[in-house]
Amino acid sequence: MSLLLKNILLPLADFTLEVNVEMRGRVTAVFGPSGAGKTSLLDLIAGIRAARSACIQLDETVLADTAKKISVPTRRRGIGYVPQDLALFPHLSVRQNLLYGRNARATNPLFAFEHVTEVLEIRSVISRGVTELSGGEKQRVALARALLASPRLLLLDEPLASLDVALKGKIIPYLTRVRDEFKIPMLYVTHDRFEARSLADEMVVLVKGKVLQAGPVADVFVRPANATVAKFVGVETLQPGLITNVNEGLAIVSVNNVTLTALAPAAPARAVFVCIRGEDVVLQRDVAVSSVRNRLPAHILSIRPEGALFRVELDAGFPLFALITRPACTELGLREGDSITALVKTPAIHLVPR
Amino acid sequence: MTALEWQIVGFTVWVAALSTVIILPFGLALAWLLARADWPGKSLVETIVTLPLVMPPVAVGLILLQVFGRHGAVGGFLHDHFNLDIIFTWRAVLLALSVMSVPLLIRSARVAFEEVNPRLEQIARTLGASGWRVFLTITVPLAARGIVAGMLLAFARALGEFGATIMVAGYMPGKTATISLAIYENVQLGQDAHAYRLLGVSVVLAFAAVWCSEFFLRRKKATA
Amino acid sequence: MKSGLSKILFLALVMVVNTGLLAADITVFAAASLTDSLKEIAASYGKTSGDKIVFNFGASSTLARQIEAGAPADIFFSADEAQMNKLAKQGLIDAATRKDRLGNTLVVVVPGDSSLQVQSASNLTNAGVKQIALADPQAVPAGVYAKAWLENLHLWASVQPKVIPTENVRAALAAVASGNVDAGIVYKTDAAISKKVKIAYEVPRADGPDIRYPMALVKSSQQPGAAKQFLDYLSSKEAGQVFTQYGFLLQE
Repeated sequence: MSLLLKNILLPLADFTLEVNVEMRGRVTAVFGPSGAGKTSLLDLIAGIRAARSACIQLDETVLADTAKKISVPTRRRGIGYVPQDLALFPHLSVRQNLLYGRNARATNPLFAFEHVTEVLEIRSVISRGVTELSGGEKQRVALARALLASPRLLLLDEPLASLDVALKGKIIPYLTRVRDEFKIPMLYVTHDRFEARSLADEMVVLVKGKVLQAGPVADVFVRPANATVAKFVGVETLQPGLITNVNEGLAIVSVNNVTLTALAPAAPARAVFVCIRGEDVVLQRDVAVSSVRNRLPAHILSIRPEGALFRVELDAGFPLFALITRPACTELGLREGDSITALVKTPAIHLVPR
Repeated sequence: MTALEWQIVGFTVWVAALSTVIILPFGLALAWLLARADWPGKSLVETIVTLPLVMPPVAVGLILLQVFGRHGAVGGFLHDHFNLDIIFTWRAVLLALSVMSVPLLIRSARVAFEEVNPRLEQIARTLGASGWRVFLTITVPLAARGIVAGMLLAFARALGEFGATIMVAGYMPGKTATISLAIYENVQLGQDAHAYRLLGVSVVLAFAAVWCSEFFLRRKKATA
Repeated sequence: MKSGLSKILFLALVMVVNTGLLAADITVFAAASLTDSLKEIAASYGKTSGDKIVFNFGASSTLARQIEAGAPADIFFSADEAQMNKLAKQGLIDAATRKDRLGNTLVVVVPGDSSLQVQSASNLTNAGVKQIALADPQAVPAGVYAKAWLENLHLWASVQPKVIPTENVRAALAAVASGNVDAGIVYKTDAAISKKVKIAYEVPRADGPDIRYPMALVKSSQQPGAAKQFLDYLSSKEAGQVFTQYGFLLQE
C-alpha cells in the first residue's frame, strides 16, 4: 500500500503540524511524545478534521486535495479507526457495535463476522453490554468493529497506552494476528518504542508537529537522524564528542578525553553526538583478546531493574549505560562500585552531527 | 367539575401535547445546529430563539397576531389561497403554545447534544454511517434523556400558556378555551368556584409534568 | 423671631394643604365605549378646574369587579344598569348621585374592505359570515345588549356558534378593524371612531334593547367634593354637546 501525505499544514494550539511523507509499510508506526500532533494526523487521514492545506492519497485514490478542493467524506474513505478512548457506543450491545459498520456489500470472507470475532477471541462477549467488558475485551471489540467494516487502512491511536504491562503483553499478539491475518495496512500511533519495534516495519518520528525522520524501523532506531530523534528512540548513551581523526572509513572520537573508534559519518563533521544503545554494551571481566576496538575501563555507578533486564550506569570517563540480563548480572557478580570493562563494537557507535 | 370544565382540561392537554409533538423536528434540528456547528448568524438565531422566554407573552402574541392575521404575511397567504384562518381558531392556540414552549425544548436538547461525545459520532462516520444515520442511531439515543426532559418542560409550559394565547385565540368555550384562559375568564365573571377547580387541575398537571421532567434528568446515564 | 418663623411655617403648611384640596386627582372608572368622549370632556374641564381626571377604561363588568375588590375609584360610569345595580346592592355607590346620562345604538360593523352586506339581523346567520366579534355576552354590557337583541329576534341560537367573545367592546371593534373576523356588533359611537370599519347595519330602536349609561359617585371616594363637581360637569350642557358629537343619545 502507499499512503501519501503531502503538504499537510494544520495549525494546532502550540505549533503547526507539517507533514510530507510517503508510507509504504505493512505497519507504520507514528512515533513521538504526547502532544506531538499524532492524533490530529490520524484525524486528518480519516477525514474527521480538515487541514489548512493537505494532499492525502491512499494508493490510487485521492482522499483530500485542498488545492483542487477535493475532500472525500469520512464515511466513504474506507478507513478504520480505533481511537485512544475506543469510542464504543455505550447504548448499543457488543453485537450491535460490531455490526454497525457492516454493509451488504461486504463479501470478503476475510472480514466475515465469524472469522474476525474468532481471530480476536470475542465470541463469548458478543451478547453483553459494552459496560460489562474488561479493558482487554473492550480493546478487542473496538478493533473488531473497525475490521468488520472492511477497511482499506486501519488507524490505531495508542491502542495499548491505557493498559498495564500484563495486558499489553496479551494484546500485542492480537495486533500481530490482525497484521498477518487481515493483510490491511496499519498506521499505529504510539509513544512506546518497544511497541513500535515489535509491530512496525516502517516508522515516522513526529515531534511538535514536524517529521524528524521517516523510514524502516531498524534504520530509525540504529541511525537516528539527530539528537532529538535519538533521545526519543531511546538511545541510552548520548554524549557530545569531537572527531579528531578520520582514516579508512573509521573515525576517532574523543568524548571527555576518552577515545572511541566509530564508523565515519557520511557527511564530514567535527562536533558530534555519540549514540550508543544500551544493548550494544558488553560488560566483561577478563578482556585478553577481542575483536572489539572499544574497551573501556569503568566503574559501576548504579544497577537498576528494567523489565527483564538490568540497566547498569557506568562511569567510563563519561556516563555510559548498559542493558544486561539478570542472570548475567548474577553470574558476573556485578555490584555498585565494581570495576569492570565495557566493550562497544565500532559499528554500534552512531555519530550524529551537532 | 362540569362537563365544560372537563372539555377545557381535555382540550388543553390535547393541544399542549400536539404542540410538543410538532415542535420536535424543528426544535431538535435547531438544537443540533446550535450545539454542533458554527455558522454566520448563529448568535442572532440563539437570541431570537430565547426571546419568547423573556419577552412578555402578550408581546409575542401581538407579533403572532400581525403575522398570522388575515392581513399578515403568513395569515394572508393561507386565507387567500387555502381559505384557512388561524386567528380566533384552535389553530391559533396550537400556534401560541408551540411558539412559547419551543425555546425550552431547544435549550434542553442543545445541552443534551453538547454532552454527547463527538468522538462517538466521528467514529460512527468512519464506520460508513451517513449524517442522518449518525444523528438517529448515535446522537439522539445518547441525548434522549435531555430531549425527553425538554419535551416535558415544553409540555408544562404549553399547558400554562396565557398571554400569547389570549391575544390570538380569544376565549371561546368549547373551541379555544384553555385552562388558563378559563381561569381568567371565570374570575372576570365572578365565577370563583369554576376558577378554583380549574386552578387545582392546573397545579396537578404542571406538577406532574415538571416532576417527570426532573425524573428523566436524574436517571443514571449509560457510560462506555 | 420664633413666633415669626412659626408664622411662616404655618402659612407654608396652609398653602400645601390648600393646594392638596384645590388640585385633586379624580379617578373615573368608565365603560370602554366612553373613552374618546370622556377624554375630551376631561380636557376642557381641566382648563377651568385645577383637578386632574385619571381614567380607567374597560368593560363595565370588569370595572365593577375591581370596585368590589376595593379599587380606588371616585366615579363609576357604566354602560348598563346591571353593573351599576350590582354595586348599588352592595352599598358601594352613593345612590343619591346616581343618574342615567346616556343612550346608544347597536350597529353591525364589517372590515373597511369587506363586501359583506347585512340587510337584516338574519343575514348574520348566513354561511358567508363565519366569525362575529362582540364583547363577552356573559357580562360586558355591549355583549349583553347584542345577545338580548338577537334573542329577541330568536336568532341567538344560530348566531352563537360564530361568536368570538372579546374582553370589551373596543376589543371587538379592533378585531373587526384588523380584518380577522367577518363582522362585529358594537355601539354606533365606537364605529364612528374607527376608520378601518364601516357600518353594515344599524339596529333599529324597536328591535334593540334599551341602552342606558348610568353614572354615580363611589362611596369610598377620598375626595367626594371634587368628584361631585366633575360629576355635575358631566351633566352639563357643554359635556352634553361633546357626547352628542360622538354619537351618544342624551337621556332627559
